[in-house]
This record gives sequence, C-alpha cells and structure tokens, in this order.
Amino acid sequence: MLALRGIEKSYPLAGGTLPVLKGIDLNIDQGEMVAIMGSSGSGKSTLLNVLGLLDGFDEGSYTLGDVDMSGLSEKQGARYRSRFLGFVFQSFNLIAFKTALENVALPLFYQKVARRERQQRAMEMLGKMGMDDRADYLPSELSGGQKQRVAIARALITSPRVILADEPTGALDSTTSHEVMQVLREVNASGITVIIVTHEADIAAQCDRTIRLHDGVIIEDGRSGEVVEPTARGAST
Amino acid sequence: MFNRETWIEIAHTVTANPLRTALTGLSVGLGIFILVVMQGLGFGLQNGVQQDFGDEARNTVWVRTGTTTLPFRGRQPNRRVQMRNEDEQRITEQVIDAPAWSGRRMMWGSTVGYQSEQGNYPIVGVEPDFDDLELLPLMGGRWLHTDDLAKESKVCVVGENLLDELFKQDEAIGAFVTLNGITFRVVGHFSKNGRWGNSMVYIPLTTMQRVFNGSDEVDQMVLSTGELDLAGSTAMVEAVDGDLRLRHSVHPDDQRAVRVRDNQEEFAMFERIFTGIRLFIWIIGGFTLLAGAIGVANIMAIVVKERTVEIGVRKALGATSGSILSLIVIEAISLTLISGALGLIAGVATLNVVAPYAQHDYFANPEVNLRVTLTALVVLVVAGAISGLVPALRAVRIRPIEALRYE
Repeated sequence: MLALRGIEKSYPLAGGTLPVLKGIDLNIDQGEMVAIMGSSGSGKSTLLNVLGLLDGFDEGSYTLGDVDMSGLSEKQGARYRSRFLGFVFQSFNLIAFKTALENVALPLFYQKVARRERQQRAMEMLGKMGMDDRADYLPSELSGGQKQRVAIARALITSPRVILADEPTGALDSTTSHEVMQVLREVNASGITVIIVTHEADIAAQCDRTIRLHDGVIIEDGRSGEVVEPTARGAST
Repeated sequence: MFNRETWIEIAHTVTANPLRTALTGLSVGLGIFILVVMQGLGFGLQNGVQQDFGDEARNTVWVRTGTTTLPFRGRQPNRRVQMRNEDEQRITEQVIDAPAWSGRRMMWGSTVGYQSEQGNYPIVGVEPDFDDLELLPLMGGRWLHTDDLAKESKVCVVGENLLDELFKQDEAIGAFVTLNGITFRVVGHFSKNGRWGNSMVYIPLTTMQRVFNGSDEVDQMVLSTGELDLAGSTAMVEAVDGDLRLRHSVHPDDQRAVRVRDNQEEFAMFERIFTGIRLFIWIIGGFTLLAGAIGVANIMAIVVKERTVEIGVRKALGATSGSILSLIVIEAISLTLISGALGLIAGVATLNVVAPYAQHDYFANPEVNLRVTLTALVVLVVAGAISGLVPALRAVRIRPIEALRYE
C-alpha cells in the first residue's frame, strides 16, 4: 500500500542543512493500524508529512498504491491527497466560521461534488461519528472530543485509503482520548489504513504495529508486544 | 468559482472585523467618489465652454479692429483702425478663398418698439451667410436674403426673447416694429443658446449702413474656413491679418489694432487644455484610488496571514493553489467592487443634486457619462484584482506543512 525506499529529508539551516530523515525504508499494508513514536526531533512528524504529501523529500522513492509520488506537481499532490488521504490533526484544525456539517463537507467541495450530495454525505458521516445532532454547531460550540470526531468525519468523507493522524489525542483528556482511539479503531476495522504519530505509549499500544524513530532512523518496528531490531538503515515488514 | 461557499467565506471575511472592513471600504469608496465627482466637474467645465463655443461655427475666423498701440510708419499710436466694405471686398475676392463670409456692424442698447411695447436690444447688421457662421436656428419665417441687402430692405429677424417680451401672444412674422424709431418688418425669428443670442435683432448690413450710420463702416468680419484643417485656417488668419496691417499701416506687433481670432485654433487650444484637465483628474483620482487599493491589499495581506493555518488545512484537504488564489482574489474584488460601487453611487448622486445649482456661463451639466462610469468600474476590478493578487500569490506559495505549522 505504502512503500518508502531510502527516504532522506533535511531542512536548510544557516551554514548547512539539518538531516531529519536518514534513509527510511518502510512498507505499510492496506488495513494496518500503525503508531509512529519517537522523542521530539526524532523525525516522526516529518515522516507523517512525507507520507501525507504535505512535505517533499530529498532522496529516495515513495509509492502510494501503485503510483510513484516522487516529483509530483503541486496540483497532482492536491489531487492524490484528496483522493487517497485523510488527515486528523492534534489541534483539530476545523475552520472556525464553518459549521460541523460544512467542515465535514469541505473536502468534497474540492472534489467538485454537488452541494446537495456533499451535505447528504457529510450528514451521514456525522451520524456515524454520533455527531449528527451537532451538525449546525460551530467548532467553538463543541468540546475537544466532539471537535476531533468532526475532524475524523472530515478525514473520512472522501473515503480515503489512509488516515494520517498527528497526535490526534494530544489535546484531549484521557477519557476523550480513549473515545477518539475507539473511533479510529473502528475506522481501521473498516479496512482503512490508519497511521498515528504519538508520543503516548498507551495510544501506541492500541495500534497493531509500532514504529519508533530516533534521530531520523527507524530503530524499532514491530507488532504490539514485540520489538524487532532495526536494520542498518531502518526496518521494514 | 462563484458558488455559495465562496460567498459565505467572503461574507465571513467582511463581517469578521467590521471596523477594519468599513475603513478599508471607505478608502476605496472615497477614492472612486472623488474620481467621479472630479470627472463630473471636469465635464461640467468642458460642457460650459463647448456650449459657449456652440454659439458660433467652429470653422470660422473673426476679424476685429481697434485702436493702435504702437507707432508705425510715421503714424502715432491711439489711432482708430476702421474696417470698411472695401476691406471686406478686397479680402474675400483677392486675399483669401472663403466659402462664406459676412460683415457685421452692431448697435448696442437700441430701442425696439412694437405697438405699445418697447425695450432695449442690440441691433446687428449682417449679410446672408451670417446665419450659417453664427449658427442661428430659424424657428419661423425666413433669414435675410441677398435681395434684402441689394435693396437695402427694412426687414429684420428677431430672437425669441423679443417674441416673449414684445409680441407676447401676437404673431411676429409680418409684424412691423420700430428700430430706433424707424419701421422694419419682421420676416423671421430664431432661437439659440447663449447669453445674448436670443435678444438680437438682425437686419441687412447695407440697410444699417444706409439708415443708421450713413457710412460704409464694418465692425467685424466673419469668414468661413470651410473644410480647411488647422494649418489651412492658420494660413488664412495670417493672410487676412497681414493684409489689414498693410492696408491700415499697423505695426506687426500691435495686438489691439488688428485682431484675427481663429475659432478652430481656439477650440483646439481648449481641447488641449481639457485633455490636460482630464489627465490631471485621472492622475489625482488614480492616486486616490491607488491609496484605496493599497488599503485593500493591506487588509488582504492581514487576512491571508490570519488564515495561513486555514490555507494549510484546505491544501491538506485537497484544495489546489488555483482555488485558494481565486478565493482571495474574489474576496479582494468583492470588497473593492462593493465599496467602490457605493462610492460611485454617492458620486453620481452628489453630481445630480449639485447639477441644478451649478449652471454657469462656463459650467454646465456636470454629468458622469457611461464611458467614465464603465472605466471607473474596470479600474476598480483591476485594482481589486491586483490588491488581492499579491497576498494571494504569497498564500499559494506556502507549502501545506509550512502553513499548518504557522503560529
């Protein structure tokens, strides 16, 4: 489903560059639920951004489905994001002046889906998240957990093959975090690949597989409960 | 591009910070208001001058003589230079080839009487071509004929003021009036614009010379330049001027003794002046509008900055650069157009209110024409697009991840 080969990524600094990802090799299959862990500065968010086509990479190759993602134009990147990927952010990133329904329907707007169909599908998705009674609420009128449910509904509305979640429970209390993880597990159970960046071990424990990064290198990659020693340049399934 | 979501977002931007929006809109509205009002005033001035010119055909040369101011060939200054019939005959037959001409002799404040009514009006002696040179629209009867001059007939053509003030309900054509005590028959009447035009009483020049002066003196000559261009009419002016100075021994630099005015040249000069005025108005209006556009660009830059994370989210959700670009540009155009349209309406309304109270000899109908309105609208759209384009381009260049990380 997702295949990274020798991905290198560095950021320019005054007087040089800062390598962030150092030759990442990684395969993630359809339907997996993967946690990416690591300390601050380990490169986990950068890896998620590369996977989500939100950021480019310097070296290596990235295949999503059967499509090579190297050297995509800005427009092509937008199209693949819209078609294959859904995003869930730590700070929800709902658009403040749009209602829950309008936020969920927004990705369909960029797919040029007709307004009536957009609203119908968004309402159905909110219903699946148990949020249909909050469809007309603005984000400011929702709790943290409700916002994240709306954000997940928005990520799912285009029927993506992969959900990328960056610290989805980072701004939530433990009860709400549990509820959100329950939702993500249900999403994963429907066959959608879920990749979560987290620094919380109990969140990672709820995933099928945990990848641990350190200093831009995969140092652990294993199913929950098992730890696999990394290869020289990383690890793969 | 123009769908409900777009307008909802524009409405949100406009209403999110009403004071900021109002002040920005005011700067644009004020810019277009000033542009429209200044254009209207410029047109008013131009209309007034053109109306004044409308009294006379543009392709005419007016020749006047006066008192010398410089000594020349042994003659002292303060000598009266008087044109006579022979000057007119010589100039029109030997000096130039004018398609039409007329001598003119005037008596201001003459007494005109009809039955028990009487009043003071200028009496003007002219020749048959004069109605074409002065543009006198005949409303009834006939103009002066060659026969009238040959026979020195006591006939006259009167302006419409005399119809109102002397004849009142009576039929003027065929009626007899007294001009300084001498009876004339009215053969026609006319109506024209201008301050004095409708109070004139025209009689044959020969009759005036015979009856009132007993001389062959002519105050003015009016010559048609026909189809001549500006260079041709200038040559005609020089020929007439040179002939009169030679015949009457007038110094070449004496500006008061012989004056030859070319309407075509004067009109061209006014055209140049008004072109300059129009340019000046556009520059002033343009700069005022530019200030408004900079205000819009400023607010759009702030809006883009405030919404950087949102732009990142939209890109993550599949928005293309084009959709982000169009959203911001449409916002800027909408803001500019709405506030500009309000300024336009206010400007037109102001001119309409002011117009009836602002009629003057050199100022008339300060209207805003369709061309100016459309130009102002085009300028607005362009200004709005440009003011939105710069921050929009900056917004679309931001990579999604940079936008999402923006604090």
